[in-house]
Amino acid sequence: MNFIKRGFLSVSRKKTKSLILLAVIFILGNVISGSISIQQATDNVETSIKERLGAAATVELDYEKIDQMSEEEHMNLEISNLDLELIKQIGELSYVKYYDYSFSTWLGSDTANSYLGEGVEERYEYDGPSYDFQLKGVNYAPVLDFEEGIGNLLEGRAFEDQEVENGSSVAIISKKLAEINDLQIGDNITFTNSVYSYDYTTGEEKLETSRDVILEVIGLFNPTSVSVEEGDRDQGMFDYMNMEYQNTVYVPNEVVISEVTYQFEEYLKYDEEYAAIVEEEGISMTDYYIPIFVLNSPEDSRSFAEEVQPLLPEIYKVSSSGDQYDSIAAPVESMSKLAGYVLLIAVVATVLIIGLVVLLFLRDRKHELGIYLSLGERRARVVGQILLEVMVVALIGITLSLFTGNLLAQGISETLLNAENTQNQYHDMIYYSELDAYQTNVTMDDVMASYEVKLDFSYILIFYIVGLLTILVSTIIPLIYIVRLNPKKIMM
Amino acid sequence: MILEAKELNYFYQDGDSRRYVLKDTNVGFEKGKFYTILGQSGSGKTTLLSLLSALDSPHSGNVLFNEQDIKKIGYEKYRRNNVGIIFQSYNLIPAFTAVENVLVPMAITENEIPEDQKTVAYNLLDYIGIVKSKADRPVNKLSGGEQQRVAIARALATNVELILADEPTGNLDEEMEQEIIDIFKKLAHEHDKCVVVVTHSNEIAQQSDQTFMLQKGKLSAYE
Ligand SMILES: Nc1ncnc2c1ncn2[C@@H]1O[C@H](COP(=O)(O)OP(=O)(O)OP(=O)(O)O)[C@@H](O)[C@H]1O
Ligand SMILES: [Mg+2]
Repeated sequence: MNFIKRGFLSVSRKKTKSLILLAVIFILGNVISGSISIQQATDNVETSIKERLGAAATVELDYEKIDQMSEEEHMNLEISNLDLELIKQIGELSYVKYYDYSFSTWLGSDTANSYLGEGVEERYEYDGPSYDFQLKGVNYAPVLDFEEGIGNLLEGRAFEDQEVENGSSVAIISKKLAEINDLQIGDNITFTNSVYSYDYTTGEEKLETSRDVILEVIGLFNPTSVSVEEGDRDQGMFDYMNMEYQNTVYVPNEVVISEVTYQFEEYLKYDEEYAAIVEEEGISMTDYYIPIFVLNSPEDSRSFAEEVQPLLPEIYKVSSSGDQYDSIAAPVESMSKLAGYVLLIAVVATVLIIGLVVLLFLRDRKHELGIYLSLGERRARVVGQILLEVMVVALIGITLSLFTGNLLAQGISETLLNAENTQNQYHDMIYYSELDAYQTNVTMDDVMASYEVKLDFSYILIFYIVGLLTILVSTIIPLIYIVRLNPKKIMM
Repeated sequence: MILEAKELNYFYQDGDSRRYVLKDTNVGFEKGKFYTILGQSGSGKTTLLSLLSALDSPHSGNVLFNEQDIKKIGYEKYRRNNVGIIFQSYNLIPAFTAVENVLVPMAITENEIPEDQKTVAYNLLDYIGIVKSKADRPVNKLSGGEQQRVAIARALATNVELILADEPTGNLDEEMEQEIIDIFKKLAHEHDKCVVVVTHSNEIAQQSDQTFMLQKGKLSAYE
């Protein structure tokens, strides 16, 4: 009858003690498994929400910081532009899947009509400058917006590297725009780059000069449909955004730069005062880039930000689409924190309580243990027997609490989330960010919906490891008692 | 000599002074003989036995088993392979049956035990006077005499040649005492074991092959 058999025999013969130990482990196991369940669920929320928020990041002015500056600081503030070299340097980081830095301008057209929204036919004419179309520069030939699913290419093709490099006169327009203007792939679309002068005293604008921008349509895109429920309070906003996107024209970045430069230089001819300032301060219109970096995974955003921040000029910051998570998921996060504390306390309590219970039981069995030692049993095996006995009971208790604790967590988190939800209705002030286009808006309801206490493999694995390890640690302390037993004192 | 004690010293610290229980004690035991050790209460009999059975170590001196220092053999190893110990208070595992108690040392020892340990255990118990129906009973449901028989069977289970017993009949009536003593005689004379029994009963001492008297920390031959 070796020590393993002895252990099993002891557990089955001393039923009352085994049941007491089982009950204690079961109760504590429920607390541990409940808190692990909740943490797993909140972790899942984080990953799934961040997945939905996307993995885009940008570098932009930290408006929040600027707002908080004192007047004096404001006066001394010198905003330097983002260096193209820096953007490229950041773009080469390993976290970045692909990136683009674009430049946009708005142009009108004498021949092409813009999209005005669904069911809007009337067009009212007026004489002033019209800037109906946004020319969006592209450096990343496959077009980042298409890769990111903001729009999708329906017909034709994206750019070729050659075209981007040379600034060829090619364009990708929306299918809608093509339909309105009866355009096919291979047709030309003509925009007008008009230069107006502005009279500061009368406020009148006068057309001074203009040039045509003729672009060959090489592709048609469609905005990826976003379902908006009827009567949603964001409906108006959505319609506007959609209209703006339908009127967006993707062109190689060089095309935009050339048009902007033309307009700027022409304008200076009619505004001598401003020309003087420009001369003096060396203002250029073409070095203000907005970079968009698409990261390999949403999880990279934190390390990406940490690595990039030191490279940036003052008052710039890294914004990631995942940043939104922190503001919406506050209730979930606070629950995760709570579960973390509960887990920690439960583990400590388990170590103490199980340690004490096992010690009491061992004192009761001092005689038996002394007998084994007097018969020449190795202390390690006596220790092994006790460990085995506790672990067998622990395995049963933990397996039982695996399920009940999970159920418990479901009930508790429902109550907690509902209570928290009503408290956290208001967000901080939200600043407009270039990133907005690259992230889906995620609401509190989405967070709630993605919260789910599951009984999955990783939970089971983590719980078994944490549970058994905790009990192992709590048993090790009283085992020192065995090591110090003196069989002579016990037996003789 | 299967067992020898050489110049054993053992003391308890009593404040600043040492109170010697054993002082330069020498003794030797042979196989096939039944020994008794007599002595007044408090004379150090249990202390001596604890040293001979390696449950404690002397402050100086040696215990030799078959000419080999038991310290060299290793106390634990000596206990599991070379000696069977019987205590006054039986020291059985109450949750286990008689036969299970006998099986415990069989798994601990490194000595050869025949394949079917359970049968060996039942036979051993039967030989000592515990029938099968009692062998399957938890030991706390056996009488004192029966329990001590189980303890003897346990001491014999590892097939050792040396049996040490500390007042094995101290809790038993005279009739039962005689039966136990008969077992010890049989073990020594028929099975060639060396049996050393600590007692304060003169009747038991008279039945032994040799008696030692423990007095003032020294052993001397009696009669
Ligand atoms: N832990 C201890 N601390 C101090 N003195 C002790 C201790 N244990 C025993 N003694 C003393 O050592 C002496 C020998 O004790 P021991 O138990 O060997 O005597 P014994 O001959 O077996 O007595 P008995 O016949 O009553 O069983 C006694 O005087 C006892 O008081
Ligand atoms: Mg004694």
